[in-house]
Amino acid sequence: MFSEELKTLRRLGFRHLLLQILNFASVIASGLMLWKGLGLFFNTESPIVVVLSGSMEPAFYRGDLLFLSNPPNERYHTGDITVYKIPGAEIPIVHRVLETHDILVSNATAKSRKDPFAKYLPGPNQLLLTKGDNNHVDDIELYQGLDFLERRHIIGKVRGFLPYIGYVTIAMNDFPQLKYAALGGLGLLALIQRE
Amino acid sequence: MPPKKSTKALSPEPVPASGSRRGSSASPDKPPGPLSIVVTPEERDVIKVNNASVTDLKNACDDALKRYLSRPNLFKQIHLHTDVRLALGWAGVIVAGATGLYGWKVDFEQSKPGVWAGFILYVILTTLQTLYAYFVEGDIIFVGRRKTFSKRIITERVTISSRTIPVSSSSSQPSPANAPSYSLNITYLQSTSGGKSLLAKNRAQGSMEYSAFFDEKGLMVQELFERWIGELVEGAMEGKGA
Repeated sequence: MFSEELKTLRRLGFRHLLLQILNFASVIASGLMLWKGLGLFFNTESPIVVVLSGSMEPAFYRGDLLFLSNPPNERYHTGDITVYKIPGAEIPIVHRVLETHDILVSNATAKSRKDPFAKYLPGPNQLLLTKGDNNHVDDIELYQGLDFLERRHIIGKVRGFLPYIGYVTIAMNDFPQLKYAALGGLGLLALIQRE
Repeated sequence: MPPKKSTKALSPEPVPASGSRRGSSASPDKPPGPLSIVVTPEERDVIKVNNASVTDLKNACDDALKRYLSRPNLFKQIHLHTDVRLALGWAGVIVAGATGLYGWKVDFEQSKPGVWAGFILYVILTTLQTLYAYFVEGDIIFVGRRKTFSKRIITERVTISSRTIPVSSSSSQPSPANAPSYSLNITYLQSTSGGKSLLAKNRAQGSMEYSAFFDEKGLMVQELFERWIGELVEGAMEGKGA
């Protein structure tokens, strides 16, 4: 089945093979860099996440795609929907903020001389309590011993969403063969086609 | 011994006994053109492409041209444009991979400066690659060089760029006469003593419908194509287009 393509490749030489592999590799690389770039611009480790459980119904259903951002110096308010990850737990959780507490910790930097309230920057010094809309109790049990979430546990705040699209990711994770098949197909296409 | 001819008629000029020199009225130390070095039928592979895809047709013509002109005693292909594109592209891929690995291994907050550096480097490399391909490389498909040692060392440099001229949409009847064309631009430079004295600088241009080279099944008639290329290049070498 591939004898025509193999003959063509052998005839065209080594540089051509390198170029074709570069085609495939640069598609992957640009996707990766797009992801990392989005993460840098929105200050979040994972700018797009998929909802896995039904704990936020009727706002978000399983399979929805969420767009996150994490502005470092903005306060989080009650009612914001956040995605957080407790160290030790693998899966991030999407729930709504129920309570916030501001810790006024003195932050001895040069800025504090010009602005007396600089040391009370709300961003890194907030404690949060969350609860899923569809749950009966708040998330204390999920915090693995902590009483409150700290800002450093938060991946980001939900800014927008797309319904149903996340099912592609869920399918890829539940059936890893799909992932390898998609990657293999893409690789084959990139190697055989030319520009 | 006279060289073997393929299916087409012989050229009207007599072929001298030495075989590789053209017997024309030019000076005896003229470097040989591509038509005078004949391809034997056994050396040929069958080329079959998808007739409906103009990209495939152009790529097949480009590849045939490169093969035809880089035979022994003819031009040696200079791979500078390809190598620059490969270098920039692979550098970008490696930077992207390294940045991804670094961001995965190290905590997000600590990795931010490193990931910024990697991201900006990747954007610079990709921009450079795109600009190079658009401005410097353009339509060029073949750059070849040859040094011949007759009375003096003659260096030749040929640059060929090709593009497809699409069919004008006024008449949409598919027919052999109404097919997209393959258009070539050839620049030929001849110089001696290490490029210091210029002997000739010629340009030639030619185009022909794809239907002249490919039959209805998509098989390429290589002799026709090579004859056309050879005539164009020899025309450029003699300076007819100037």
